[in-house]
Amino acid sequence: MISKESIVYSLRNLIQRKSRSFLTILSIFVGIITIFIFISFGLGLINYIESLKTESTVDKINIQPKGVGPPGLDDTFALSEEDLEAVDKTSGVIEASGVYFKPAEVRKNKELRFVWAISYDPEKPLVIEMFGTKIAKGRELRSGDSGKAVLGYNYLLKDKIFSEQSDINDRIELNGKELKIVGFFDAVGNPQDDSNIYITHDDFLEIYRGNSTGFNWIIAEVDSERIEEIIEKVEDSVRKSRNLEKGKEDFFVQSFEDLLEQFNRILLFIVVFVIAIALVSVLVSAVNTANTMVTSTLERKKEIGVMKAIGAKNSEVVKIFLFESAFLGLVAGVLGVIFGFFISYAGAEFLKRAGYGFLNPNFSPILFIGLILFAGVTGAISGTWPALRASKTRPTDALRYE
Amino acid sequence: MAKGKREVIRLEGVKKYYFMGENIVKAVDGVDMVINHGDFVAIMGPSGSGKSTTMNLVGSLDLPTDGEIYLDGHNIARLSESSLAQIRGKKIGFIFQSFNLIPNLTAKENIMLPMLFQGLRIDERELKAEKLLELVELTDRKNHYPNQLSGGQQQRVAIARALANDPDVILADEPTGNLDTKTGEKVMNFLEEFNRKGKTIIMVTHDPELAKEHAKIVYWMKDGKIEKTTKTKKAR
Ligand SMILES: Nc1ncnc2c1ncn2[C@@H]1O[C@H](COP(=O)(O)OP(=O)(O)O)[C@@H](O)[C@H]1O
Ligand SMILES: [Mg+2]
Repeated sequence: MISKESIVYSLRNLIQRKSRSFLTILSIFVGIITIFIFISFGLGLINYIESLKTESTVDKINIQPKGVGPPGLDDTFALSEEDLEAVDKTSGVIEASGVYFKPAEVRKNKELRFVWAISYDPEKPLVIEMFGTKIAKGRELRSGDSGKAVLGYNYLLKDKIFSEQSDINDRIELNGKELKIVGFFDAVGNPQDDSNIYITHDDFLEIYRGNSTGFNWIIAEVDSERIEEIIEKVEDSVRKSRNLEKGKEDFFVQSFEDLLEQFNRILLFIVVFVIAIALVSVLVSAVNTANTMVTSTLERKKEIGVMKAIGAKNSEVVKIFLFESAFLGLVAGVLGVIFGFFISYAGAEFLKRAGYGFLNPNFSPILFIGLILFAGVTGAISGTWPALRASKTRPTDALRYE
Repeated sequence: MAKGKREVIRLEGVKKYYFMGENIVKAVDGVDMVINHGDFVAIMGPSGSGKSTTMNLVGSLDLPTDGEIYLDGHNIARLSESSLAQIRGKKIGFIFQSFNLIPNLTAKENIMLPMLFQGLRIDERELKAEKLLELVELTDRKNHYPNQLSGGQQQRVAIARALANDPDVILADEPTGNLDTKTGEKVMNFLEEFNRKGKTIIMVTHDPELAKEHAKIVYWMKDGKIEKTTKTKKAR
């Protein structure tokens, strides 16, 4: 029976054995914090990736070289104008656009930085649609623009890329070529994409002269109803245009959604893996809790005997000790989610300042309640065996030592 | 039953042996005993004669190796552990030599505990505990913990706790053993008073004077057996 007497009795015992209770709570607490942080960030990331699946992304497919290195750095081959044409002509493809990108040296007022230069066809800005960003200031690129650049959001900030914030009509030098800034995009949420420099194909090819063998990426807008079928057709077209046998493709075609799914799977795997490790630490703390409870029951052997002498059933004794261990777990759970929340929150703020705004933890109430209950149940389970053992104490054995 | 006496406890050929490797300790070795309602019984004998073991068997804290024990006509060997606990808590109140209060409960909470185990409501428990504190003259100490009370006060709390569920029988194992003569006398007066009010009292002691002075019937134990039974002047 959970009663006033038994609750105050348990609490006073836990308080009396302060340092032991504290260490037990601490050991569960560490596991709960870890789980809280990883689940909150994991959920946040999964939500973020889900949010990338918008109307403008469901109908997009990517055609990329199966490079060994990161895209843009691997120059073994690239997709050609013919490949782009082949994609464009495939039935079901509404529009296709090639994208170049390469690492670039950008200089402004004698400050030198390394970022990505990206070029696209202003008539078919599919890459911008995919990033899901809009112009924050100035204008987008227009076809025929020469010596003009649109920059990522971070150039609008002081001390982010350059010490000075940039503005429309400022000049920058990209691999030695002077460009005039005509606009800025809104934040995408990660520091790499927010540092991009967008230019036209003509400027790109001029800057990289013989160095560029072709597109690093082709994006196509397709009929989203038939996307799976179109992916296969596009694969056929590009294979033919590149004169390759089936199974020996040096490129791959994937829908944007699949790409996100793939990210999600990897992400989920990492989150599950870390949580599994945290669970091991919770298991260790459960053993620790069981040990605490065993010690506690041995110390109170005589009290248990007295309680049985004055009418306590075994179940009553079990309840007292289960309550104590569950309480230790609950306190650890409550403290764990509170500290976990503050750490995640502070971490997210820090990441946001560092430009990783997309790493935004999700604080679902289920996470709080679930973890507190989990900790309580872990405590209760840890206490089960010691409590059952204690309840079997024979009153005479306990009372003999006077 | 003769003279309209109601039987509360009956022991028939009760033995309690402890097996310690090669040796058998015959703590209780064939005890027959009938205790009637309203009796004040003393179990007298030297240390190690089996008094406490007998009392624990009477109180169903342990089961005998052999023989039968009846509590209010129920054979305790036939009862499950939890119904035994229930009956024990209801019908028997224990008083121990070393008081055995729960250290982390106040005087009042200690007295409430047996009622909790009988499933009484909190307000009933509080009310009864207050009354009992008054009875043992400790109302002003109700929120004290055992270690804040003197030995005599602790034993009075223990007495109040033993009375919490209005038991028929009070078992007291050397209740004055840890007390000086004066405080011991006070405790004995309480026990006599309860006996006058109809409680059955079984007291274990190694002090013949104490037994003769307060009890009505004295069982003299030696080596686990009852040597003789005498009636004191109080029996009339
Ligand atoms: N749990 C036990 N294990 C072994 N021997 C015991 C146990 N309990 C009591 N004894 C022995 O039984 C005998 C009687 O003990 P006890 O009933 O406590 O005597 P008394 O109360 O008369 O001093 C003693 O010799 C004691 O050592
Ligand atoms: Mg004894």
